[in-house]
Amino acid sequence: MAAKEYDVLIVGSGHSGGMAANVLTRKGISCLMLNAGPEADFARDRTAKPVSELPYRGFNKPGRLPHVYQATEANANQWVDEKEVPYTHDPAKPYNWVRVRLLGGRSLFWARQSFRLSDFEFKAADLEGSGENWPISLADLAPYYSQVEAIFRVTGRKEGWPQFPDGNFVEGGGFGGGAESRTIRRFTELANGRGIGVSRMRSALGVNGMASSLNLLLPDAISTGKLDIVSNAIVREISVDKKTGLADGAHFVERHSRREMHVKARVVVLAAGSLESTRLLLNSGLANSSGVLGHYLHDQIYGVSVVASVPEARDGKAPAGLMGGSAFVPRFRNLKKEEKRDFIKGYCMLVSSGAGASPNHFAAYGEELRKLLDRYAGSCVSGTIYGERPARFENHVRIDKEVADAWGIPVLHVDVKDGDNEHNMAKDAANTLEELFQAAGWDIVSKTDRFYPPGYSIHEVGTARMGDDPRKSVLNQWNQTHDIRNLLVVDGAAFVTCGWQNPTMTILALSMRASEHLGEEMRKGNV
Amino acid sequence: MRRRRFVQALAAVPAAPVLAAQTAAVPQNPAAPPAQGGRGGRGAGGGRGAQEVAPVELTTSDTVAAPVARFFTPPQFAALRRLSGLLTPPLKGNPGALECGAPEFLDFLLGVSPADRQQLYRNGLDALNALAKKQFGKPFAEVDDAQAHTILQPLLVAVPWTYDPPRDPLKHFLFAARQDVETATRNSPEWSAAAAGTGRRGGAALVWNAIDPVYRG
Repeated sequence: MAAKEYDVLIVGSGHSGGMAANVLTRKGISCLMLNAGPEADFARDRTAKPVSELPYRGFNKPGRLPHVYQATEANANQWVDEKEVPYTHDPAKPYNWVRVRLLGGRSLFWARQSFRLSDFEFKAADLEGSGENWPISLADLAPYYSQVEAIFRVTGRKEGWPQFPDGNFVEGGGFGGGAESRTIRRFTELANGRGIGVSRMRSALGVNGMASSLNLLLPDAISTGKLDIVSNAIVREISVDKKTGLADGAHFVERHSRREMHVKARVVVLAAGSLESTRLLLNSGLANSSGVLGHYLHDQIYGVSVVASVPEARDGKAPAGLMGGSAFVPRFRNLKKEEKRDFIKGYCMLVSSGAGASPNHFAAYGEELRKLLDRYAGSCVSGTIYGERPARFENHVRIDKEVADAWGIPVLHVDVKDGDNEHNMAKDAANTLEELFQAAGWDIVSKTDRFYPPGYSIHEVGTARMGDDPRKSVLNQWNQTHDIRNLLVVDGAAFVTCGWQNPTMTILALSMRASEHLGEEMRKGNV
Repeated sequence: MRRRRFVQALAAVPAAPVLAAQTAAVPQNPAAPPAQGGRGGRGAGGGRGAQEVAPVELTTSDTVAAPVARFFTPPQFAALRRLSGLLTPPLKGNPGALECGAPEFLDFLLGVSPADRQQLYRNGLDALNALAKKQFGKPFAEVDDAQAHTILQPLLVAVPWTYDPPRDPLKHFLFAARQDVETATRNSPEWSAAAAGTGRRGGAALVWNAIDPVYRG
């Protein structure tokens, strides 16, 4: 048989796996990438159709993707089929695990909001007096952030604020660019008057409107001739050499044929997404001498919103320059030890101007409702937040031995519950937005401090966190498992705290840093 | 060869493929593919290696047939028709829910929906009939507009967040029905045809086809 032995096996093809392949292959290291799903052909696999011709008129096919609130009838086929790869949870503790197994993973579809974490996150325990610090600081990761920002062409406005570290920004365009409307200027003045800094969104421009592993990372890796990619390869278990205790490859199953295969590698890098990488380690019985593997699952709260209507903009009478545009407010709460609130950590606010009201906002129907919607059209300013959930030991995943996926691989049971901190933070955010909008003279149309179930943000992290102490963490600061030095996890599982920020830039920077270090260690013969 | 295929695939990626842009309804109305030479043009050359077949023009079942209501009981369906007409009447030259077959579509949709959603609708429609009989001595389908308003108005509530519906089951039902009737109306073939007739563009979506699906033989 033609079995090869690779230097590095990479499991997963999204941002973290793509970065690992990019860095390692350019060092001359041979890599095999296994991806659980197929390759999408953007031309062949998408079709523009009138909504009226869809079988369910734009409704989701009932019951198909109950945990994917982002699913529509049009995009349903891009997500992992929940019947094919289920997971379990207590009905009283809902969890939304939103997955993509296409080659490139979720990097094909992310919203491209691009932020660095700050030392308010890396060293959160120092500020809050509880939890754990990361074993690294912003200074350690900054050089890698800069390289990632260049590759992904991140645009943004430099502010010099410690909680909102500036990046290696490209010039021009991007989200939130252009002149500010008078409503956004008014909001900014009021926020500034309360000591709240207001900036612009920071986003990855990418290339040709796409900022994925598929177009920004994998092509260079492939061009080295050092990368093989196998799609539809579902990894069941990491294999270990019984003599050395080191990882030596992986067992995988072909998605269509269900044929069982084994591949050999000197190093195994997991980049399947936080929960899939963790599931693989748990199913393999590896890297859990600390007992924290699967624990500290956390993400961000989404859903809090306040909508206000600008009186002079109603009935289609908004003068030019009044409405439109957006503002971005990075974290402003709990930046000082002496600040005492009924929650720790913080949230950012996203404010946009110029939309209309929703039918949900009115107790009306028929012609009366239509008149109200017409009246409020284009007159609204809305605000929402991304808030950090604390990482708690009790919020965890474990293997559900009673349930297996379509390939007989045991699935995850997710056990996560929000606490008072999340609810108190949400209340503070809704009240803050309401107070600012009212101070501007705008009429509140709706306000809610409710938020989506955990997982909805698609920013799940933390289940194989890094740390200096092997008793409290799964990975060291170089993303190597403490237990097995040639087994790495380079995706979001490594996070200690998620912050309020979209984690993609941090995942990429961590994967780049870990891969650079791995390459050097392999060169020295240490791995 | 593999590298070349990879680059070709990337070249086909359109601009702005972020999630929202890929999935949101976009104001475009794609034209039907042009005929490729008609039936006489098929299999140019006629050899075994040239098996091009001109696309056959198909019609849809909605064009040639009427849906059969199967899920709701006759009293429930009559109430749903009356409710649909009130929630989304013809306005501004657009057809209303009844003209767009929204009740018939919802009968189909609810018939394949999870049990809790089915129960929400069945109980809600039964409750409207019960209220109409109690207040006006006739089923909801037969109340006039003013009587219907008397029944519906106390049940309507503003909802600040889609995923936080009213806890009262009847208010929840009305909240859901208002959304569903509107969507079933605006996304109907009848609405699309009416929009095309006025020169406006109907809604369109970029649909992901099933990608290399796993067949369970």
